Amino acid sequence: MTRNPLEFTLSSRMIKPNRWLNQDWLVLFLIISLVSFGLMMIYSASGSMEMVLRQGIFAVIGIIFMIYLSFSDYQRLLPIYLNVFWIGVFFLLVVLIIPSDAATRRWIDLGIFGFQPSELMRCVLTISAAAFLSRNPRIVLRDWMIVIGLSFFSFYLVFIQPDLGTAIMVLISGILPVLISGFPVSYQIIGILVILLSTPFIWMNLLDYQKQRVLTFFDPNSDPLGTGWNIIQSQIAVGSGSLFGKGFLQGTQSQLNFVPESHTDFIFAVVAEEFGLFGVMGLFLVYLLLAFRLVMIAKNSNFLFVKLVAGTFIFLLLTYVAFNTAMVVGILPVVGMPLPFLSQGGTALIINMIMIGIILSFRRTA
Amino acid sequence: MKKFFSGKRDSESRKLVLYLILPIFIMFVVLLQTINLTVINGKKYETKSENNRIVSRTIYPTRGLIYDTHDKLLVENIASSQLNLVPERSTDTLKKIEEIAELLDLEKSFLLDIYGIQIKKPRYPFQSITLAKSLNDEQIALFSVSSEKFKGFSVETGLVRSVVNKKSLAHVLGYMGYPESNDVDKSSNFISGNQVGISGIEKTYHDQLSGRVGTRIEEKDVSGKFVRVLSEDNAESGKDLKLSIDLDLQNFLIPFFEGQKGALVALEPKSGLIKALISSPAYDPNIFNSSSSLAEIQSIFSDDEGPLFNRATMGNYPPASTIKPILGLAALDEGIVDWNTIIQDDGEFYVEGDPRPYRGWKEDGHGKVDLEKAIVESSDVYFYSTAYDLTIKRLEPFLNKFGFGNKTNIDAEESNGLVPNEKWKLGYIGEFWFKGDSINLGIGQGYMLSTPIQISQAIAVIANRGEIIKPRLVEEIDESPTKLESLGKIKLKDETNWEKIEKSMIEVINAPNGTANNIRDTRYVIAGKTGTAQIKSYEDQEYEDIRENPFFRDHALFVGYAPIPDPELLILVIIENGESGSRVAAPIAKAGFDYYLTKND
Repeated sequence: MTRNPLEFTLSSRMIKPNRWLNQDWLVLFLIISLVSFGLMMIYSASGSMEMVLRQGIFAVIGIIFMIYLSFSDYQRLLPIYLNVFWIGVFFLLVVLIIPSDAATRRWIDLGIFGFQPSELMRCVLTISAAAFLSRNPRIVLRDWMIVIGLSFFSFYLVFIQPDLGTAIMVLISGILPVLISGFPVSYQIIGILVILLSTPFIWMNLLDYQKQRVLTFFDPNSDPLGTGWNIIQSQIAVGSGSLFGKGFLQGTQSQLNFVPESHTDFIFAVVAEEFGLFGVMGLFLVYLLLAFRLVMIAKNSNFLFVKLVAGTFIFLLLTYVAFNTAMVVGILPVVGMPLPFLSQGGTALIINMIMIGIILSFRRTA
Repeated sequence: MKKFFSGKRDSESRKLVLYLILPIFIMFVVLLQTINLTVINGKKYETKSENNRIVSRTIYPTRGLIYDTHDKLLVENIASSQLNLVPERSTDTLKKIEEIAELLDLEKSFLLDIYGIQIKKPRYPFQSITLAKSLNDEQIALFSVSSEKFKGFSVETGLVRSVVNKKSLAHVLGYMGYPESNDVDKSSNFISGNQVGISGIEKTYHDQLSGRVGTRIEEKDVSGKFVRVLSEDNAESGKDLKLSIDLDLQNFLIPFFEGQKGALVALEPKSGLIKALISSPAYDPNIFNSSSSLAEIQSIFSDDEGPLFNRATMGNYPPASTIKPILGLAALDEGIVDWNTIIQDDGEFYVEGDPRPYRGWKEDGHGKVDLEKAIVESSDVYFYSTAYDLTIKRLEPFLNKFGFGNKTNIDAEESNGLVPNEKWKLGYIGEFWFKGDSINLGIGQGYMLSTPIQISQAIAVIANRGEIIKPRLVEEIDESPTKLESLGKIKLKDETNWEKIEKSMIEVINAPNGTANNIRDTRYVIAGKTGTAQIKSYEDQEYEDIRENPFFRDHALFVGYAPIPDPELLILVIIENGESGSRVAAPIAKAGFDYYLTKND
């Protein structure tokens, strides 16, 4: 495998017959299970079949993308991967420029659905960063600095939307390839110090509702009908679910709309309420199993690009799960962060499936 | 897993796994927190979840209606707009109540009082409290304009008790109010947060009238909107009551009490059913029922004439001469006198060794007096003498047999009255029993006190030839008749004495020398007895001087029943400070007889 990644020619036969069966069926099964379970939960939370159908259509589109990409030859696509970042930047600028009545500018309205450029960004940033860092056999400090710089640039574009949660994830999706690819420890320490020192600056730039969310986190009962409401009600939902849950469609907290945003960011509360502690454990096991399978793909590859993309995605996947669920059970502040494959939201679902598809394609050239 | 950390070449995978520790650690903490929420604090959150979604609504039963004996509606429930409060939904409640009182021009202290009483009572969570009733359109409009400001307060339609004939049956029907908080857990009905009967029939029959409170457990969503009924325990409506009161008779008799204090009892001697019950002055129970004006309520409470006080069942009066027929029976039964015994009445009676005279009401006396004449002319000296001979030892048990000193068990609040004896006098007055005390008892004076209903019951015993019938106000409960109840039968050694004493009472009216000859009627025969109760001893002062003060004037009494031989109605009249039983009280009873006995012809 000494092919120059930049030597890009379109393969006339991307799918080779003997490769068809060489699919990671477990990963596909886990993804489809998670998405199906997500559809059930969205139905339970919203009671709207229309919402389930919409999400179902996104899921089908996502699965098609995922399977198609899993058969692709990533090495031939590297030149494209190197530059997809700019597509992300383009859309982030578009979303900021197009006039909107809403206070937050996160969506590009495409009529039938809203497209969320920040979700695209965390995908393309990782891919381009990985492609950029692995384009030469040896990474020089300048490469890392460029990636770090562009990551903060991307972070800023999302942060001013404003969407703190996704902005942090975008930042991680750019920084993590830098860290995994061997960014020197001394520089890492300097970086951490810089971030710590800039915290007050970030705090000053947070909007009131974001500050309020952070403050409320520390004392949810201080404002039980305001910001604390979300946390209190989702805790009640989780707590009242007990060991085995109240049963599918039986969660009173979610059915009666006591849990806000129960079909999006707080969908984990519905899971916990209706399926209990064991449901939560089962869900976590599925995520961990998925992560483990993906880690195996990264581990089995000799290519830095593969390790960086897969590693970053796995980290982001688990971080999303961890932060989202931590927010629902009230151990972290409420930030807008969906639960991967479960929360309602087309862009995130399709992007996550595209990423899985890309990672699955790594098996072929391992 | 070992392979992960072997091979130095794969430092990227090692780093990755290292970084993954962070989210996995957070997930682990999330799991711990989930265990904390579900297992350790599960019960707490289950309760919170239930409280979130469940609202318990009280279904108030409709209070039973009250009718008179001819099915005329006496008390109904009318819709009224009331100010309700769900304390759980309101903050800074006391201040808000004050603001609302100002806004709606209601009395602050009144609303605060009601809130203070109501909030202490057992209540379901989110059950509302009624603060004010009978709001008018203007108040409703004022409230709805600024209802945003008053979270938890609402104007809702509720039922209010309304007495149709206002004052005329105030004491019989009674009024509604808020119970003292320690009365509250007596019965589940008190949880209703509603008013309860405070007096009269409303109190005595509260349990029957109020029915049973129902509850409906509803599920609501986050906005408090009704989702579905989870369980329902239906309310049972209160039972309707039919009183024995004849509203026409009652309304006919009330004007006679205009401007006077007094009481009237009219009952069927055979059944004990009360046809009219008057206590004057009266009040309008609706003032309490609608509980709208503190000032009006206070003015009733502070009225010196005691309009709330039911004189007919609770007023303690000396029975005066109305007791003479019974004392006559006692003297006959104990063998002190017979119908032929003559006593010389020169207007005064003396006890041996006591120079003090016991004066009769007629200065010159009645001359030679036998028992019949003693009753017809109401000779005091005759009864001084017989009472002196009977002594308290025989007087007291005999009076007790007729119900004096004990409750009549009427279905209303009543007093015991008092039949004094040696022990009582020593205990309460601190003196021994004097012979003179027995003598005073002979004319129903001295320490003896009785309620109008007691005298009525006792005289009815004569009409019933010894049968003691419990008086009652309620004829039917939900169309099932109440039972006639006999409290016993008095046996006389000579049973003909019943008829003979009744004959004397007929002569009171029919004989030219009878004290109530003025009410004689040719159409029917009345048996009765007048009475004039001294409320101020005039041994030392001249009678005329005492009369100067209207409050010291004698009470006028008359009790009688008609028609003989088959009495349908017994009427007792007391006019406070009316002075003359024959001139003032008897004509009122006569009017009642006329109205009642000739109405059906």
